[in-house]
Amino acid sequence: MAHVVLKDLVKTYGNFKAVNDVSLTVNDGEFVALVGPSGCGKTTTLNLVAGLTPITSGDIVIGDRVVNDLDPKDRDIAMVFQNYALYPQKSVYMNLAFPLQMRKLPRDEIDKKVKEAARVLDMTHLLERKPRELSGGQQQRVALGRALVRDPAVFLMDEPLSNLDAKLRVQMRSEIKRFHQDLKATIIYVTHDQLEAVTMADKMAVMNGGFLQQYDSPAQVFAHPVNMFVASFIGSPAMSLIPLEISTANGGTVLTSAEGWSLGLSPRNVQKVTKATTKKVVLGARHSTIKLHKSAVPGSIPAKVYTVEPTGDVTFVQAFLSGAIVNVSVPPNIAVTPDERIWLEFDQERMHLFDGETEMALEAS
Amino acid sequence: MTIVTGKAEARRKLQPGRSGVLRNIWAHRADYAYVLPAIAVMLVVIAYPIYYTIELSFYKTPPGLQLRDKTFIGFDNYTTILTSEVFWKVTWNTLVWTFGSTFISFVLGFATALALHRDFIGRGVLRAILIIPWVISAVAASYIWKWIYHSDFGIIGAVLVGLGLTDRPPNFIDNVSTVLPSLIVVNIWREFPFAMIMMMAGLQTVPDQLLRAAKVDGANAWQRFWHVTFPHLRNVSVVTILLLAVANFNSFIIPWIMTAGGPSNASHIWITHIYELAFGRQRWGVASAYSVLLFLILMTLGYFYVRALSGNERKEGGA
Ligand SMILES: Nc1ncnc2c1ncn2[C@@H]1O[C@H](COP(=O)(O)OP(=O)(O)OP(=O)(O)O)[C@@H](O)[C@H]1O
Ligand SMILES: [Mg+2]
Repeated sequence: MAHVVLKDLVKTYGNFKAVNDVSLTVNDGEFVALVGPSGCGKTTTLNLVAGLTPITSGDIVIGDRVVNDLDPKDRDIAMVFQNYALYPQKSVYMNLAFPLQMRKLPRDEIDKKVKEAARVLDMTHLLERKPRELSGGQQQRVALGRALVRDPAVFLMDEPLSNLDAKLRVQMRSEIKRFHQDLKATIIYVTHDQLEAVTMADKMAVMNGGFLQQYDSPAQVFAHPVNMFVASFIGSPAMSLIPLEISTANGGTVLTSAEGWSLGLSPRNVQKVTKATTKKVVLGARHSTIKLHKSAVPGSIPAKVYTVEPTGDVTFVQAFLSGAIVNVSVPPNIAVTPDERIWLEFDQERMHLFDGETEMALEAS
Repeated sequence: MTIVTGKAEARRKLQPGRSGVLRNIWAHRADYAYVLPAIAVMLVVIAYPIYYTIELSFYKTPPGLQLRDKTFIGFDNYTTILTSEVFWKVTWNTLVWTFGSTFISFVLGFATALALHRDFIGRGVLRAILIIPWVISAVAASYIWKWIYHSDFGIIGAVLVGLGLTDRPPNFIDNVSTVLPSLIVVNIWREFPFAMIMMMAGLQTVPDQLLRAAKVDGANAWQRFWHVTFPHLRNVSVVTILLLAVANFNSFIIPWIMTAGGPSNASHIWITHIYELAFGRQRWGVASAYSVLLFLILMTLGYFYVRALSGNERKEGGA
């Protein structure tokens, strides 16, 4: 196993920067999830690490070697592809044996390793089958096995579960997690499903438009998103973002809405908004941190219900507030109806404040 | 609309245990009525000639006499053919011609397809140039090559003499031992672009992800070709080879225009031989018997062609 370092990594296609100055370190044995919306450069980044795409500038270190100019086969990596990329004409056994054959291992050693991998992944009975005779989950396991037999320094996985149905995805998710724990493998895992990232990864790297936005543990990314993009991308339903303005009332700092209401701030939050570059501030709040009241209470703000989505455990209420839609979760026994007038109370401790101009999170020093 | 009705009707009428081809046809009579005109036309333009050829092959047709003066001679035409020396000579020529042209055209076409598959400057132009032999008329090509090969004015001869490799221009197509290879060269020149196009289309369907997986697995360029590209192209290769083989077996224009089978039958293949027997020497009976044999051989090839095609579908459907 080995650590991986990306330093100022850039990949351009013509004038278009698909990967823009990405720097991050994956420690030995760490599971890192690369997340971001479609087209943000996740696959490109992974291909750069794999050596399938030449880098424009920057450095990639795997173990203690700079691998910028090495062929994929010399980088000591294994890759799992989105569509599994199994060799259709070869049996499962030959699929697993292929990377070892290419490395000219002796036949009996290949046999031993293939059988061992098949045992670990519980597919000894499938060895003679062709890929097309396997289910999606089984194919996925073969793809994993083909990476596993090699005992590489780093595993690279590009959306390996996206072709599976929801149930199988949950099952394979825990299998991959086990696989990581048992092998203490270094894994870089691309996904656009943030739930996958949050549940499996030690750290997540959030990308957008080729830029690395935030690189931290899922809990940290969730609790302290560095900017509005990360805030709205991580978490489901998405964090509500309400554009407001700073003003003073009765000698204190408050946030006012174009709708006329204003929201008082705790001293700590006042400290935060003083850092804003302009008067524009965006208030962020996750659904679980907002309280819904049927009548006005001190500090609450009037809103109007837009939709109600009961899911069984919780009911999600969407409300219009200052031109934005706010998600609130309430216990299922609370009955609200669309167009009903409600009052929302924000948790001063757990609210997020962003600079309306730079979209960066505002922090108390 | 009516076809749908026909089917629904068929479903209603087909009681379990009361089936049978005729009953089935009757139940689908509306459907059959629609294809009846097409079947009638096909009977006239395809089935009848085939029948007439088979019939003629059992008759002696004296040259210079009316066809109605023919006399029934059973399998005599077939024995005449199978015991004649020319038959074996022509069959051998046909095999050399068919397999030589098919094999080399395929390999050459595949190789060019692979070369043109990579990106380089001028690829489009080169591809267009390479397709030219296939799109120009075979008749024109034959005359052009006749001149290229010409023993007095041919460019190949002139170049060879100019380089001092030979004293006299070689005689390509008036020589018993070089005529067939020379014609095969022309044929290959004309048809390898077809193989090239087929294989280029096939190459575009090789999944990129598989090639990249093989790269990560440590396969070099040759191994990637052998383990990924080539297996993927198996079906398109089979189809291409069969189409080439059938076309070559049926070749007429190039050998007929360039040499008409000569010198001394050295470049006669089945088709040109049949043509000469029938329309040159009016030996309709023998020519028909030849045609029947040819028909049987081509049907066999056709069977494999259809099987290769439907095998393809089965696999895709199962994947
Ligand atoms: N070969 C290429 N030539 C030009 N542009 C490319 C090429 N490959 C990728 N791109 C561009 O680079 C950007 C990043 O692509 P990439 O495949 O890394 O996205 P991604 O994050 O993996 O998205 P997805 O979640 O949809 O897989 C995209 O805008 C894409 O259009
Ligand atoms: Mg991708």
